[in-house]
Amino acid sequence: MTFEPKIITFLCTWCSYTGADTAGIARLKSPSNIRAIRVPCSGRVAPEIIMKTFDQGADGVLVLGCHIGECHYDSGNHRTAKRLPILQSLMAFAGLEPERLHLDWVSASEGERFSRIVSEFTESVRLLGPARWKSENRQPRFDQTQLAIDRSYTFDQSSYSEEVERSISFTNNLQAKARELLSCGKVACVIGYEKGTHNRTRPVFIYTEDAVERLVWNKDCTHNLTVYLRRAIYPPLGKQNGEPGKSVAIVAKPCDSRAINVHLAGNHFQRDQVHVIGMACEGILDKQQQYRMDHILQERCLHCTERLPVIYDTLIGEPPANQVEPTTSARLYYLETLSPIERMDFWLSHFDRCIRCYACRQVCPMCDCPTCLFERDDSLWVGPGIRLDEKRIYHLGRAYHLAGKCVDCHECERVCPVNIPISLINSKLNLEMEKFFGYRAGEQAIPSPLLTILSGEERLP
Amino acid sequence: MKFISRSDLSIILNELIGESRLIAPKKVGGVILYQPITDTSHITWDFTRPVLSIKESFFPATERLFTIDINGQEVTLKDTLPEIPQIILGVRPCDARGMKILDALFIDTPPRDSYFAQHRANTTIIGLSCQELGETCFCTSMDGSPTDPQGMDVMLTEIEDGYSVQIITEKGKKFFGDHLSLAYEEATPPSGTLDRPSAIPAPNDIDWPRNFHEAYWDQLAERCLSCRICAYICPTCRCFTVRDEPIASNDGMQQFERIRCWDACTSEAYRQIAGGHNPRQAKKQRLRNRIYCKFDFYPKQYGPIACTGCGRCVEMCPVNIDVTEVLRDLAEVTP
Repeated sequence: MTFEPKIITFLCTWCSYTGADTAGIARLKSPSNIRAIRVPCSGRVAPEIIMKTFDQGADGVLVLGCHIGECHYDSGNHRTAKRLPILQSLMAFAGLEPERLHLDWVSASEGERFSRIVSEFTESVRLLGPARWKSENRQPRFDQTQLAIDRSYTFDQSSYSEEVERSISFTNNLQAKARELLSCGKVACVIGYEKGTHNRTRPVFIYTEDAVERLVWNKDCTHNLTVYLRRAIYPPLGKQNGEPGKSVAIVAKPCDSRAINVHLAGNHFQRDQVHVIGMACEGILDKQQQYRMDHILQERCLHCTERLPVIYDTLIGEPPANQVEPTTSARLYYLETLSPIERMDFWLSHFDRCIRCYACRQVCPMCDCPTCLFERDDSLWVGPGIRLDEKRIYHLGRAYHLAGKCVDCHECERVCPVNIPISLINSKLNLEMEKFFGYRAGEQAIPSPLLTILSGEERLP
Repeated sequence: MKFISRSDLSIILNELIGESRLIAPKKVGGVILYQPITDTSHITWDFTRPVLSIKESFFPATERLFTIDINGQEVTLKDTLPEIPQIILGVRPCDARGMKILDALFIDTPPRDSYFAQHRANTTIIGLSCQELGETCFCTSMDGSPTDPQGMDVMLTEIEDGYSVQIITEKGKKFFGDHLSLAYEEATPPSGTLDRPSAIPAPNDIDWPRNFHEAYWDQLAERCLSCRICAYICPTCRCFTVRDEPIASNDGMQQFERIRCWDACTSEAYRQIAGGHNPRQAKKQRLRNRIYCKFDFYPKQYGPIACTGCGRCVEMCPVNIDVTEVLRDLAEVTP
């Protein structure tokens, strides 16, 4: 028996659905493998729908919309045009053959085109064989227990005493600045770091001049404090109630400073409401004890070329003398060389450990939806179960939502209690965003291209 | 005291793998977890404390309670009680005691939770006493001890190339069964010379209610992220949510399952009720609830303090909310 692929097509009701009708009226042959789902606009096809379709056993998904410029809603298909290629890269990275997801344009009169696209797509999926996306009854096995982090790109490590001196001088400057800002009433609060227990450094909120002495700066200041910024300026429900909001000072590393720009682009607060105390950063120590002892930096810092914040009101420290050559993560490179099925096993074996504690989401300065899509009471997209399918859709869905917002601070990976290399997915999508749109989140306070319509000079990915 | 070598223990375990589910510490993706084992060579023998507690083997992250088949007018419910016997190897005293603490709620207090009780009855716990306290351990302040056999069926203590064996229950005896001859006499008693840190001062049960309105909670909760790490890695946190979910149907039959999944009082939607009202809307209320639940509510309702001092939450909290520090601080502010 030959393999008959199960293909789900999402058809825009205004054009492609009518196009399919036209094909029928013209008695053009189309394969019987397709199950058509009529949607009001191709822009309405959320990525979660597509992922869920594959989760439930589809072998291929075809999305058909109106030609660019002919959208019934003006720009609905612009979004599809931008978002679907990103989703395709994401799913390919997670182990789906990219040919299984296809986007095309069919107008109401193009019956012949509809029939051709559908036939071609069906044939290509038939050649690929059954999709192995469904994780049901599947024991993910991936021998590589953990990808080694390439630590050959280390920076010149200053000697220990120099480093201690540096953090003391930074701490002093930081405290002086905080005292000045609080005493003149310019800000109501300074968000910074303090010494915690068990040799940790942790976030702290300083409201009075007396408390300024708690502030510290050292190579353990890993937290991206911008996660607290929005609520510090507008306490819960404050903005809806029309409260003016407070002014807040925040200690920001270069990666964190980009998150502030993303918030500004989202109009979450105004530029003058935040006083950015930028820190010249030479990297943050790894959380793992054995690397910590040797003063080895976190992986993200090994590949980071930004030593100065992109946005600041006060700068503490000097820009470093030598420029850093950009490098890509060896882990990412390695994953790219794997076959789709190996990649899928890699991710499933990692997601298998996930306990859905949502720490990755809570620590993320960009994850700030009032109710997370994956936690809706109606289980619209994903149920509350802590099982492999749900875990995968959560991680991939979250990564997709962060495309164009993620600033590569890798906090998600740092907090993961079971060591899932989550940030690899985000880094991959960040590279894709750069490739497709030349956009890097937070370099300037402009919205992500995924949220805007196609501009004249923007090429279709 | 009996002695068993590591290789002899492996022989016993290998024989039991077919008939029982063996769960043991295993290194996966750079972390040590209690995982089902198919081959004793995969076991990690040297470890201080796996990231997740053994709670998962008794109270799975997602557990099917029963299935619901709808066939026309006919509705059939089928319960799915756990049946496979399991053996958990290398359980630290804090985790074993954690299960005793959960017994107080799930089994000893009606209504009895038949799923949890069945898991408990099906399981043999092969404990492993601790040779040293980890960086964040504080079991000695929580009525525990690194050599406490409570809740175990057998307690092993590491000696060179093997373990001294202390059989505690009938189940433990059954585990060794005919192989008890493998465990031969050995004179060396397990070392009991651990440095015990001084106990952490904590408020007493009269002082707890007084601390409820302290401004301290505002301050503490400011940096809390409202994630669920602390609750999910805790051996004694046991909140859950119940939901009916559809199962992919066969032959036009509608099939659903009722599942229960872990939930955590630290999460924002935990207490949300129909209509959208949330009695614990502020972070501080949720964090405070977790601490009070462990040290005030649970002991008053069920007896034991719901903390074993395993120190996981202290170690894993992304923003260093340290329960031992909280206890110390509260003991101080209390007049």
